[in-house]
Amino acid sequence: MVEVIEETTGKDGRKVMKVAKENLLALLSDLKDNGFTHLSLITGVDRKSKLEVVYHLHNMNKNEYVVVKTETLDERVPSVTSLFKSADWDEREQYDLMGIVFEGHPNLKRLFLPDSWVGHPLRKNYDLSKVQYINMDENGDDYATFDPGDGW
Amino acid sequence: MKTGDGGVVTTTLEQAMEWGRSNSLWPLTFGLACCAIEMMAIQAADMDIARFGSEVFRNSPRQSDLMIVAGTVTKKMAPRVRRLYEEMPYPKYVIAMGVCVIQGGPYNQGYSVVLGVDKVVPVDVYVPGCPPTPEALTHGIMLLQKKIRNETDR
Repeated sequence: MVEVIEETTGKDGRKVMKVAKENLLALLSDLKDNGFTHLSLITGVDRKSKLEVVYHLHNMNKNEYVVVKTETLDERVPSVTSLFKSADWDEREQYDLMGIVFEGHPNLKRLFLPDSWVGHPLRKNYDLSKVQYINMDENGDDYATFDPGDGW
Repeated sequence: MKTGDGGVVTTTLEQAMEWGRSNSLWPLTFGLACCAIEMMAIQAADMDIARFGSEVFRNSPRQSDLMIVAGTVTKKMAPRVRRLYEEMPYPKYVIAMGVCVIQGGPYNQGYSVVLGVDKVVPVDVYVPGCPPTPEALTHGIMLLQKKIRNETDR
């Protein structure tokens, strides 16, 4: 049995479980065996002192949802791509915008922004005053710069 | 333009060119966000900009005279918008449709949106609104026609 820190029920009746990140894979694996075979969403929350990662799982047969939350102090969380294939791009999105590093992910690079973009824009400490611009090189690839350049 | 008694029209070549140009503005099929839905409405039966000479939305920038930038221009889209503008033949005109295109709109404080498409391409007519009504956009096209013919409202 996996140790769950806290179990509550949300306003919409969904079960919300908090779990230590060491037990995350075991808990999600248990839930997958109990019918929650669809990982519909991964989101990240910046709590300033720590980062929170939220997994929304769906049971297709009973039409039930369950929410699993975990926290990390060092921006690192184990990847769940070994259990759910759909986690691949979800985790890349969270890495891109929140800067959460998913350990064990097969291809952890930015999903939306160009690789040369500095910082993770949905973090609370992201500096909006330093404007970045995107330009295209000869091959049609994007690159981000602080200098607007010709196109702007 | 002068009309004589014998049914003869005299005008300058320049005025005739401007008249022809302003009454055959073919827009580029180019929608970026929700404003594009309102843009589609102006070429449908209810608004029908064919009455003003903009019969057909061309699918190639090389065949169009007018780019209606309809919808939020993200920073990733900005180089593409510029490339499409550069592929259009002269004379070419740009209408900035909606408040996102004019100055960023609700995304003004964000990290991902261009604060005004006029930073990337030159704009002739600004149509404000979120989104502008099809009537407002039709008015914008009529303003552009007046601008091409060197007429002013003031």
